[in-house]
Amino acid sequence: MCEKEDNSKNKSRREFLQNIGIIGLGSVLAGSAIFAGFNYDRKKTNAQRIKVLTAENELLEIDKNDTTKVARFKAENLTFLQKRGREGIKGKRWVMVVDLSKCRNARKCMSACQNAHHLRPEQHHINVLKMQESKGTPPFYMAKPCQHCDNPPCVAVCPVDATFKRPDGIVLIDNERCIGCRFCIAACPYSARVFNWAEPLNSEEDKDLTYDVELNVPQRKGTISKCLFSADRLREGKMPYCVSACPNGVYYFGDENEDAVTNGTTKETVRFSKLLEDNAGYRLMPELGTEPRVYYLPAKNRTSPYEDKDKPEASEHLDSSHA
Amino acid sequence: MLKSNIKLTILFLLAIFSFSKINAQAWDVPADKKAKNSYIKFDENTAKEGEAIYTKNCVSCHGNPGKANNLKTLNPIPPDLGAAKTQALTDGELFYILNTGRGAMPSFKNTLSEEERWKTISYIRSFNKQYVQVVSKTDPTKSKLVKIKLDVDSLTNKIKVAVIANEIKGVVLLKDAEINMFVSRYFGKLQIGKTLRTDSVGCVLFDFPKNLPGDSIGNLEIVINVNDEIYGEIESINKVKIGVPTNKPSLTEKRAIWNVLKLAPWWIIITYTSILLGVGFILLLIIKNLFKIRKLGED
Repeated sequence: MCEKEDNSKNKSRREFLQNIGIIGLGSVLAGSAIFAGFNYDRKKTNAQRIKVLTAENELLEIDKNDTTKVARFKAENLTFLQKRGREGIKGKRWVMVVDLSKCRNARKCMSACQNAHHLRPEQHHINVLKMQESKGTPPFYMAKPCQHCDNPPCVAVCPVDATFKRPDGIVLIDNERCIGCRFCIAACPYSARVFNWAEPLNSEEDKDLTYDVELNVPQRKGTISKCLFSADRLREGKMPYCVSACPNGVYYFGDENEDAVTNGTTKETVRFSKLLEDNAGYRLMPELGTEPRVYYLPAKNRTSPYEDKDKPEASEHLDSSHA
Repeated sequence: MLKSNIKLTILFLLAIFSFSKINAQAWDVPADKKAKNSYIKFDENTAKEGEAIYTKNCVSCHGNPGKANNLKTLNPIPPDLGAAKTQALTDGELFYILNTGRGAMPSFKNTLSEEERWKTISYIRSFNKQYVQVVSKTDPTKSKLVKIKLDVDSLTNKIKVAVIANEIKGVVLLKDAEINMFVSRYFGKLQIGKTLRTDSVGCVLFDFPKNLPGDSIGNLEIVINVNDEIYGEIESINKVKIGVPTNKPSLTEKRAIWNVLKLAPWWIIITYTSILLGVGFILLLIIKNLFKIRKLGED
């Protein structure tokens, strides 16, 4: 019995030692494997891992090699763009300041805008107008985009919900819904809207593009087009086309919630409230209660003196007895 | 009469012209800015890179240096930068002019980095055979040693910035270094206060505005930019809870005539529904009476 017991004891000790050996070796192997795997993974995080946004709007990080490109149907793409266009950018209230004292009628804003939105030369989302308040006062130039009113009369009259106000303040037009009734043109006190009477400029080249409501391209015959505050650029953190193109520092653009606007030319950021306070900022036709999101700074430092050739131009806007 | 008028006009124009010329000369550059030098050694490569920047930003008004094709219709006339008058300026003066701008000339402080601005000057200098560069004492490799510490006093809304460098021989306090404080905004950096210089213990105190909107809990991203003669340019980004908590509702939340059906004003909903109900009620009444008439006829 005793021998047997001893034997079994011996056997178990051997087994025990064997087991320890196996476990030890195993754990070393496993440890190195884990370590190698971890290192491999860490290397991957640096270079090969990418962030993706799922259809449910969840941000995930995955290996770049695990991705396959899924071709989206045009209709799906359109739905996505349209939904995004209606939602806007969260937490923002876009605002523009136009400093008339700096405008020298370079008209770079107009050409940048027309290029971006594929407009004909006579179609203006933004227009630089020659202004003269009264006979004998020097004229000045005034850039006039859509005022993106907080109380927009154009949106109120639209019978098909084609034009709408976004949570971030931009008034957009969806030309997939527009029926071309032009009520909004009649309702807008700032004459900010244009109509595509003729076939749009690039209609041949643009015919395969998916319609982006934030860019209003491709333009469509028989629908409205208007200034969009370059909603597509704002999404990328860039300033509108007109603002970036100005060579004279006329435009400031920013977020009212941040109380800051940035000059498109000098890229200098200033307090929005202070800029208006210090320079007597105003809005166009405040008596209408439209609450525009575009502010103006008065046209001081006018460079062009009053000339006789300005007379007929000015007289259009003056009482006929004075002309 | 007419002749004297013309004479007067010419005299007047001459006066304006000479005045503008004087005006164009008078760049009032502070002495310390005047003495500033580039930390980049100017050579063919920097001049070439500078040429690309120059072509994009400067050539439309100043023309090509030495070609005298500058835009002479402007007032004051933007000088040909290859001319002797420009080349007589120090590098610091050119740098200052690029930074501040004046009149029709914009400031390039926010649009070009310091490196790009020096490279542009390098290009301008390549048109001057006699030019000998004085390189500044700045050692850009040392900028990694610098640590920037923020100390926020939320009661008085003051932020103390301390700048030190962890050298091998021990901690060095950065004295007389230029400090700029910015707050990150969507399209750029908003400068807080003026550019200040650190005191004898490497500290500087900024008054922070009490009404600057932050995120929903008042957090702000504060950018500290340090510019030291030896350590170069260093930037640090810090999240500080010093702004006014801002959580403004979206602009489409209120009931309005222009809003979606769900958010139509109450008076429209009430008027519209009551008209519909009224018409429906009258229609029902008519049908009921028609039945009544038919019944009477049958009797």
